[in-house]
This record gives sequence, C-alpha cells and structure tokens, in this order.
Amino acid sequence: MEQALVVENLKKSYGKFEALHGISFEVAPGEIFALIGPNGAGKTTALRIVATILQPTSGTARVYGMDVQKDAARIREIISYLPEEAGAYKNLTGLGYLSFMAELFASDAAVQREYIQRASDITGLGERLRDKIGTYSKGMTRKLLLSRAVMTRPKLAVIDEPTSGLDVVAAIDIRESIRKTTSEGMAVLLSSHNMLEIEYLSDRVAIIDQGTIHDVGTPQGLKDKYGKANLEEVFVQVVKQ
Amino acid sequence: MRRFFVVLKKELKEMLTWQTLIPILLIMVIYSFLGRVINQEQKKQAAPQPVTVVDLDRSQTSQMLAGILTNVNFKVTTVTEGIVDDIVRKVASERGTAVLVIPQGFEAGIQAQHPQKVQTYTIMRNFSLLGMQGTFRLDAALNAMNEYVSDMYIRAGAPGLDPTIVKHPISAQSFVTVGTTSAEGNPQEIVTVVMQQTMVIPIVLTLVIILAAQMIAASIAGEKENKTLETLLSTPVGRGALVTAKMMASGIVALVSAAAYMVGMKSYMGSLLGSGGGTTGTAALAIQKLGLVLDLRGYVLLGLSVFAGIMVALSIAVILGAFAEDLKSVQFIIMPLMMMVLLPYLITMFIDINTASLVLKWLIYAIPFSHPFLAAQYIFAQNFTMVALGIVYQFALFFVLAAVAARIFSTDRILTMKLNTAGRGSGLGGWTLQREGISFRIRHK
Repeated sequence: MEQALVVENLKKSYGKFEALHGISFEVAPGEIFALIGPNGAGKTTALRIVATILQPTSGTARVYGMDVQKDAARIREIISYLPEEAGAYKNLTGLGYLSFMAELFASDAAVQREYIQRASDITGLGERLRDKIGTYSKGMTRKLLLSRAVMTRPKLAVIDEPTSGLDVVAAIDIRESIRKTTSEGMAVLLSSHNMLEIEYLSDRVAIIDQGTIHDVGTPQGLKDKYGKANLEEVFVQVVKQ
Repeated sequence: MRRFFVVLKKELKEMLTWQTLIPILLIMVIYSFLGRVINQEQKKQAAPQPVTVVDLDRSQTSQMLAGILTNVNFKVTTVTEGIVDDIVRKVASERGTAVLVIPQGFEAGIQAQHPQKVQTYTIMRNFSLLGMQGTFRLDAALNAMNEYVSDMYIRAGAPGLDPTIVKHPISAQSFVTVGTTSAEGNPQEIVTVVMQQTMVIPIVLTLVIILAAQMIAASIAGEKENKTLETLLSTPVGRGALVTAKMMASGIVALVSAAAYMVGMKSYMGSLLGSGGGTTGTAALAIQKLGLVLDLRGYVLLGLSVFAGIMVALSIAVILGAFAEDLKSVQFIIMPLMMMVLLPYLITMFIDINTASLVLKWLIYAIPFSHPFLAAQYIFAQNFTMVALGIVYQFALFFVLAAVAARIFSTDRILTMKLNTAGRGSGLGGWTLQREGISFRIRHK
C-alpha cells in the first residue's frame, strides 16, 4: 500500500544554522504519527516542509508519492495544515471563515455546503458560529480551526501543537476530535512537546531533538524498549544517549 | 480564477470594516462641512458690509463719499454729531465692524487742494483669514474715494480731459500662450482655474497611495502574525492569485476611500479657490482655446498615470509587508514608501521641473510617483510624450516589482524574511534585516 508520507534524509538550513540534519520517517494512511521533542527541535520546520510552505535544503518528502517541491500544487489539494497557535480572521464570523476555506477547496456549491456542515458538526460551537471570531476564546478558535483542517477530508492532516495553550477540557475535546476524524482513513502528522498527549493520541512517534530523529516506534513499544513508565522518561533517556 | 475571487472577497470583507469605513466617512463629512462653512462665510463677506460714517463735515462732498461707499458694497449708516470714541464704542457694542470719520473742514480742505485725512476704525473680533477681509475692503473704499476726488481735481484743472485717460494712459491687453496657441486672458485667473482642476489630484493620490500601502502591508503583516498566512499558503490558492487578490482588494478599498475624499475635498477646495464665484467670460474662453481643460484623452492619460502609480505603490507595499513581522512594525516598514510619495509631491509643488538641475530632474523622474503629479502639467502643456513615457516607466517598474513580490510569495522567503525592529529605542539602535538566519545590523552612530 502506498504510504501517506515518506520523508527521506530531509535537511533544512537557515543560513549557517541547520535546523534539520537529515530526518527520515514514514506515515501510513489512517495513521496518527507524532514528532515529539522540545521547542526548537525542528518539529515545526519538518511540518512546514510537508505542508509545502518551506522548501527543503536537501532530501525529499513525498505525500502519496508526490514530491513537496515539484508537485506542491497537487499536494495542497489533498492536505490540510494547522499551524501552532494559529489565529483566524477576526472580522469574519465562524461560519464566514468556514465558508471561505471550504470554497477554496470545494469544486462546487454542494460540496462547499457539505464541508461547512461537517465542520459545523465537529466544532460543536452551534449558534456561536454566527458570531465574529474576534469574540471567541482560544479554545473555541482552535476547535474552529481544527474543524476547518479536517472538513475537506484531507488525505493527510498536518497539525502543529494541536492543544498548545489550551486548558485541559479544551485540549481533551481537540484530542477526541482528532481521534474521531482519523477513523475515516485520514493520516495525521502532528507535533507536540506534550508527550503525555502524544501517548494518548498517536499510533507511532518519532523522538526528535536538535534536528535529528533519535528513535521511532509505537508509544508502548518505545516504553518497553527503554523500560520506562511514560514517553517523557523515554525522551530523556533517548536524548541523553 | 475562481479561487482568486474567493480570496478577493475575503480580503474585501476583512478590509471593509466599520473601523476602516468610519474614518473615511468622517473625513468626507468633515471636509464637506468645512467647505459649506467656508462658502457660507464667503457669502456673508460678499453681502454688503455695514459701515458707520461719522460725517463731522456735513458737506456735499462728504455726503458724496458716503454714496461712493454704498456703490462699493457697503451698507452705510451716517452719524453727523457726537464724540468719535463714544460712537466707535457704540458701534462695537452693536456688533458693527467699521467706522469712517470724515473730519470737520474736509470739503474746504479738498477744495483748497490740501491733502485730507479720514480716520478708519476696524473693529476686530476674530483673526481668521475670512474675518480679516473687512479690513481690506475698507482700503478699497478709501481707494474709491481717492479716485473720485482725483477725478474731481483733473476735471477742475483741465476741463475736457478724461480723468481715466490721464490716470491710466497705458493699459495692457494680456495674452497667455501655451504651446503654439495664444489667447487673451489674465494669467493669474487662468492659473487659478487650472489649479482648481488639478490641485485635488496630488492630494488624493498621496492619500490613496499611503492608505493602500498601509492596508496591504498591514494585511500581510496581520496574516503573518496570526499565522493565517501559513494556512493560506498551504491551500490550493496559487501564490500569484493570493498576491494579486490582496493588491486588488487594497486598491479597491483605496479607490473607494479616494472617491469619498474627493467628494469632501471638492467642496473644501472649491470654497478655498473660490469656485463659487466662477471665472470671467474671457478666462473661460481663453482656457477653452488654450486646451487647458482636461478632455477625454487628458482624463485617460491622467487616469492611467494615477492607476500605474497606485499599482507600483501596492507592489512595493507587498514587498515591504513581507518584511513585517507583526502589525506593529508596519508603520515603520512602509516609511520608505511614504517618503517616496511625499518627496515628489512637495518637489513638484515648489519646483519647476523644467528649470531644475539635471540631477534633481532625473531623481524626480526616477521616483515612480512623480509622474502622476507631473502628468496634469504635461497634459496642459501638450507634452504628451512625457506623459506616455512616464506611464510606460511606471508600468515597467510595476511588472518588475510585481514579479519580485510574486517570487517572495512563491518561495519560503515570505515566512523567513523579517525586519527586526526590536532593537530600536534600546541601547543598540538601528534595525536588523533577517533572512534564513542571516542578519545585517545597521547601527545608528
């Protein structure tokens, strides 16, 4: 079966600073794959390259066989990207925002309506969708953005720090939403420095630090391999080695 | 193309908010209001001005002078007795504006051909330009009286001679020449009418360019700050469509603002330049004959030059906006563009480009925003080649800049370029240009 994402020896430099030192990993369709690591580890850079908004210095990233550099336009049709702590257009209503984003992806008005309906159901914001986004709490905005990211049923969703800055209740809501949407076959590449969250959400994780992937495996597999109780302890052990 | 319109619609929704519209409407209302107030004030000034003539001479000549004042648009009230200071105080308390005192023995002095003095009192209540006009008209009244008395002397001294010919044996028949055409008319009057037609253009153009540049730079900076740009860049919208939609939305909003400004400005400038009074028949004929009226060709050329100027400004603003890290830095970032607009505006207002030094001339030509300011002048001077060259230069520059802007958006420079202004105001001073980790710090000495 064709992989949703294949990253091979991916490098990215900003001037003299090399943010990624040649990372490689694969994501299968329907799989939730997480990059875990501290701030500045290179997670966001990797995600931005997969989302086609940064170009790699060398190496390749292929989404369903398409190269992120050569086939960027085609990849953008089948992926969605949710940046860390992203905002939305404050002067638009929630519904206006969903309508705008749906129109960018939809082939006709019927499909657009279907996308909006799906997003409205996922957000759970009800009548508040008619209010301006400027009046939303951080959690509400994040729910809106997440629903936007999955409403088009992308083949690959790239989500950077899905619950960053959210309270516990909002964070659990978001995690549930991600879990539910992948049951339909969507692959998810996400990043987080919250390792407990990743342990709950992900099928497989890659431990990344200072631009290098140190290990890849299922949360349980990694815990067993290093004999640790949770992923945080695994991370510390792996990075120290 | 469909996605372009989707983004354009979104941009317009984002830009056309009450926060943007209220200041525009306010400016329109304020200028219209100012124009009306000035017009009303001018009408008041044009109405007969009351003057109290204290005629202590009570002679035929002094009564004649009071009659002359009526002829030069004064509403005369004559007082023939009393103490001058008391009369002035009374007139002031009754909101009068002027008192003219004709002393006792005035007629006898005139008949003896001795210089005579009348006293004028101007009662000042405000010091505005329009409020001061009463003072100047009192001088006009005095001139009219002098004319009358000198005519009287000439008639008495040399019967049969026309006093007008004695006083003004030479008069000028003024012609104005533009290009190869000459027409009879007062140059000052013609210049005023031409200014009425073109003065609003540079003011509105400057406002539009600055407004549009601010909007597009703020839009890009806001999207970068909010990370909505990252989301947009990962959608199937083409980068070119994204840039063009932003530019077009800013252009549309700027033009709407310009139209609003122009409605307000028309009333305001019209009142300042006295358009209410109209031009004399000779001036109107001269203007027609000299081709100093913008015809269809003139409007098309001027419109093209203004449009090209706006497009150049928008493309520069896109590039500058790409450097902005957040909304706060927008004002600082677009400063070079504002300077580029204001410089030709001021230079072309005070300097005649034809007599400027070669270096200054080329500097002005190099700034793309000089051309819309110069276009009207060149059209009136029938130098269409210069207007056309200016438009060609502006469009060429626009295409180069738009290509650079599209290039920035199509690479990851849009996310990695930034102008770090954090050092400003601190001990370090200066600013840093960063791209992909490379930074250049320019320090203030």
